[in-house]
Amino acid sequence: MILSVRDLKVSFRTHDGPVRAIDGVSFDLEESEILGVVGESGSGKTVSLLAVMGLITDPNATIEGSIRYKGRELVGLPPRELRRLRGNEIAMIFQDPMTALTPVYTIGWQIAEQIRAHRGVSKPKAMERVEQLLAEVNFPNPHEAMSRYPHQLSGGMRQRAVIAMALSCDPALLVADEPTTALDVTVQAGILDLVRKLRAKHKSAVVFITHDMGVVSELADRVMVMYAGRVVERGTRTELFSDPRHPYTRALLGSIPPLTGEKPRRLPAIPGSPPSLLRLPEGCAFGPRCPVRYEPCEARKPGLGASAHAAACFRVAQA
Amino acid sequence: MSELMTDTDRPILETRSLAKRFSIGSRFSAEGRRTVHAVDNVSLSVRRGETVGLVGESGCGKSTLARCLVRLYDITDGKLLFEGDDITSKSLSELRPLRRRLQMVFQDPSASLNPRRRVGDLVAEPLRIHGKVSAREITARVAELFELVGLLPDHMMRYPHEFSGGQRQRVGIARAIALNPDLVVLDEPVSALDVSVQAQIVNLLADLQEKLKLTYIFIAHDLSVVRQVSTRIAVMYLGSIVEECPAEEVFATPAHPYSQALISAVPIVETTPAGARKRIILTGDVPSPLKPPSGCRFHPRCPIAADRCRSERPELKEYRPGRKVACHFPTLT
Repeated sequence: MILSVRDLKVSFRTHDGPVRAIDGVSFDLEESEILGVVGESGSGKTVSLLAVMGLITDPNATIEGSIRYKGRELVGLPPRELRRLRGNEIAMIFQDPMTALTPVYTIGWQIAEQIRAHRGVSKPKAMERVEQLLAEVNFPNPHEAMSRYPHQLSGGMRQRAVIAMALSCDPALLVADEPTTALDVTVQAGILDLVRKLRAKHKSAVVFITHDMGVVSELADRVMVMYAGRVVERGTRTELFSDPRHPYTRALLGSIPPLTGEKPRRLPAIPGSPPSLLRLPEGCAFGPRCPVRYEPCEARKPGLGASAHAAACFRVAQA
Repeated sequence: MSELMTDTDRPILETRSLAKRFSIGSRFSAEGRRTVHAVDNVSLSVRRGETVGLVGESGCGKSTLARCLVRLYDITDGKLLFEGDDITSKSLSELRPLRRRLQMVFQDPSASLNPRRRVGDLVAEPLRIHGKVSAREITARVAELFELVGLLPDHMMRYPHEFSGGQRQRVGIARAIALNPDLVVLDEPVSALDVSVQAQIVNLLADLQEKLKLTYIFIAHDLSVVRQVSTRIAVMYLGSIVEECPAEEVFATPAHPYSQALISAVPIVETTPAGARKRIILTGDVPSPLKPPSGCRFHPRCPIAADRCRSERPELKEYRPGRKVACHFPTLT
């Protein structure tokens, strides 16, 4: 077991009162497994992974629960210890590669810096490794690319450079937060292909955050659907897409226009919009938009249960 | 010839070899003055009541073309005709009466709405500018528009920041349809929205089209959304149209190698094992429109490129009625 998260809760104090961004998220991740985390903006998918990385430094944030990486508790670990893990054993890729790259150094220098910081190797040795890495992420001319600055690369190339950086220390866990959202589909296809190959080669476990159901279906082994800070459904890729159980998952899948076959006259849209975390309903957060809600949904929040393919819904539990 | 055509046949908007070039840099910069060929030789005609989808990746010129179509940009070359009337170089004052018939909706609703003004006021603005109507009539029309786009009457007094993204886009749409336009150019209208809200806006646009007899030019990079709304699709690559045909055909049987790669790259929800679908992965990046490649602009990335493609640029040729492809070796079944 690479990662085991139990009952993670993250809340922030704000001007308008406390906001519970994450409310009891639990999941496990095995070696070389890809977990897809899907949800809309504000569903808590990014915050939960920032918590795993120990990147929530806001003094107004409180983190409760347990995050175990290879059996070691990360919550409450001193920053020094965390820094030793981050970038080394745990790596992260963000949506916008420019936030992960500094504009004033070359790509080669930046990747080498990370290798030297964590591995303590000489600069020429590190540079050698950088060239290998850039070749691995399909830079057509890795040697030349090393002396390029980020602004001289296209968006897709920048994201490849960030992936090379993330892989530089052979991480056991790779967290990717919407890494392809800003990219074109043809470039995205290349990056997804790369992630798949790298998983096979480096045996890294991957947590892949996205809002795109299509991407999840192409890449993930297991899927976790989030809504308003809670996991509403989890299961294997096949379970989730061939037998979606939670009304939100069903509605979300239904609202995607199909690329083949008959096109519906109208799209089955979900009414309303995702709730504000400041004013969450007493019961199920999806309740107000749910087509099958009934009395119990308004009083209590449904739990996820223990089974492998589970949905947090009273209707599903009842059936 | 145009007199013989019926009203529905006659294109409402037409471009003939339209081009838009930008000059960048200065005489004193390292590279000197250079020209960006943003839109190059685009001939497109849009018939009344249809929805033409423009697809392509970032930098392919689809947004530039959209802005040329409503004359937000001056056109460098070629012609733009609105109902057969040449509006390529009409002055701003000559254009004004046309503006009410030709509207645009932008991607980011928060950037196109003035944050300091109430949304009721924002929707009323075009009415005040174009129609000489009384305050009472304006209020009544704004109320009517709010209902049309699915906003509540008491939303009128609110400011843009009080709305969600989807509601803001509804305001943007209300502004665009306020003057009963004939043609609306929609530039990525749902791209900034969450999936669950996207479907609502797509449905709203379809309803409005039916009710108000609108013609749309719909630009999006999300192919499944474009497929849902469009009757005809034009695929763009590096400033030019490479394929143009009825929406269904391009998805079922794409003829241009670029369209094939583009469609195969779209991730779709499948229940079969991952990676079962045949995918064409393109190598390299979209070339810079500063120095477009010789011959066919797609040849450096094309899996079936031959010598001819490197030297001779294929024209957008009509192989069957309504089926146009710009390729020397199209896949036509």
